[in-house]
Amino acid sequence: MTMAVKHELTRAAAEEFIYREVRLLDTLELEEWLALFTDDGLYWLPIEDGDLADAADAVSIVYDDAERRAERVYRTLHTPVLDQSPRSRTVHMVGNVEVAGADERGDMRVLCSQFIGELRPGGQGQVGLNRTRVLAARAEYRLRATPDGWRMSMKKLLLLDADQPLYNLTFVI
Amino acid sequence: MVAAPELSSTNLVLDRPDTFQVHTRAYMDADVFAAEMGRIFGRTWVYVGHESQVPAVGDYRTTTIGRQPVIISRHEDDQIYVLLNRCRHRGSVVCREELGHSNFFRCPYHNWSYANDGALVGMAQASGYPGDFDKGEWGLRRAPRVAVYRGLIFASLAADGPSFGDYFAPVQKYVDWWLNRSPAGTITVLPTAHKYPYPGNWKWQAENGHDGYHGNYVHESWQRLLERAGEAPVRDIRKYRTGGCTRGFAFGHGLLERPGGLNPNASWTGRMMVRFPEYAEALRATYGDDEIEQISARRNIFVFPNLYLFDTQIRVINPIAVDSTEVHLYVYGLDGVPDALNQGRYRAHERFYGPSGFGSPDDVEIFVCNQTGLQASGVDWVLLSRGMHRERVGGDGEVVGHSTDEVPVRAMYREWERLMSA
Repeated sequence: MTMAVKHELTRAAAEEFIYREVRLLDTLELEEWLALFTDDGLYWLPIEDGDLADAADAVSIVYDDAERRAERVYRTLHTPVLDQSPRSRTVHMVGNVEVAGADERGDMRVLCSQFIGELRPGGQGQVGLNRTRVLAARAEYRLRATPDGWRMSMKKLLLLDADQPLYNLTFVI
Repeated sequence: MVAAPELSSTNLVLDRPDTFQVHTRAYMDADVFAAEMGRIFGRTWVYVGHESQVPAVGDYRTTTIGRQPVIISRHEDDQIYVLLNRCRHRGSVVCREELGHSNFFRCPYHNWSYANDGALVGMAQASGYPGDFDKGEWGLRRAPRVAVYRGLIFASLAADGPSFGDYFAPVQKYVDWWLNRSPAGTITVLPTAHKYPYPGNWKWQAENGHDGYHGNYVHESWQRLLERAGEAPVRDIRKYRTGGCTRGFAFGHGLLERPGGLNPNASWTGRMMVRFPEYAEALRATYGDDEIEQISARRNIFVFPNLYLFDTQIRVINPIAVDSTEVHLYVYGLDGVPDALNQGRYRAHERFYGPSGFGSPDDVEIFVCNQTGLQASGVDWVLLSRGMHRERVGGDGEVVGHSTDEVPVRAMYREWERLMSA
């Protein structure tokens, strides 16, 4: 088990971490993205904002532990998956980064806003393809100092339209 | 302005002994869609919600019947009312929230106010109406017919037509088995739902939920994941996928059925009964082995025109336009089971279903592929004849076919054709 290391997280360090994290998504380096999580880390897109403790008894858009995350990445990269054929292109924009103190486990809470542009390119006239979408989200990261550097014990994205009908969110957001 | 030609839909379904085809216009023509809203959604029984979503007096939810806005409301008499969400004065909706709790519905335009059963209780500056103005005549219109079956709420916008009992009879025993996975015989719908839109016709989703033919191809990725997780080799999954049957019924209902049984390797219920002995005990206290065998079969039950009952969810198909649909997946808990059992069901649901699941989005891809392909009008028909040569008709009129055959979709289009041409 990794011991929690008391560590100062500056906003610059938090930004550096998140910029890299979303870049790995934009460049589809998903195995590297997986390695940014702690073993007990959670990748979470709730339908409505709420307490993490209640998530087990609710249904989320994404509620991925390590196994489910690995499955998600494997699915995207190594299976004949229709909903990512063609694949999504994404551009993430991160702003309003705030370091918001430690949580009850000593992990550092980092809040930010994200705009995510997404497009799936296809042939002329293909319904559902060739349109750029913009998703907006409030994000909360929980970063833990480990001997390997900062790691995510949680990445939570609360989409602006989380409780609305959502089209194909099968790329890693 | 030239009136649209009277729709003659008798040429949109080709139903012959050796072939069954549906015309492109059924999926692509806005006039056909407009006719569907009146002749199907305006007349049949339509699923509108579950009682557990409006548990207390004053609770309400809004939804649509076809394109028509309605309110599902629990009045102080504890009865469910299905109210047209349209002020009787100038036509505004009187409720804009998805759900909530209120003692009345008040129109935002001129403050006409209605009780939870739709009765008009007052309007602003009432002196503008004569003293004998009969408020009893000006309540929110109610759906003429409402029926609640074991918590499932249906409404019909038509005062006349087949009774709910007749309409529901063909699928009733299957719905009972679906509900009886709960030892209490009831379910509770979770507050939030998965929802996804797609730019395609509503019937693609209606056709696909009991299609047992596409799984090995559309969901090959999913099968690889199960293999990777050590749950089952792809070869075994494909063998399992040929088991069971399809069933088609009167009134357009149908289902896809996978065999159950108490073998924990072959059946989810069997597995849960081993993992949670208290669940097994509770089921056995209420049901015999034969009943449990039926309960454990996995069925995707389609109740025409807009409802699917799945193992983890109540799926509602909302037609928006001829090429626009919204699907809502209302996940529910089984009452009277261990929390961990339901939590496992929720995790299984998230894994496969919803906008980020490992299964649903693959199906949606097919719906938009269909919607694109049908732009090619040199071919007029889609072919739905699979298994016509090997289906059998039971004594009660139920048609039973191979699990990969298009039996239920033919049942759906026979009812569709009957309603559209009558």
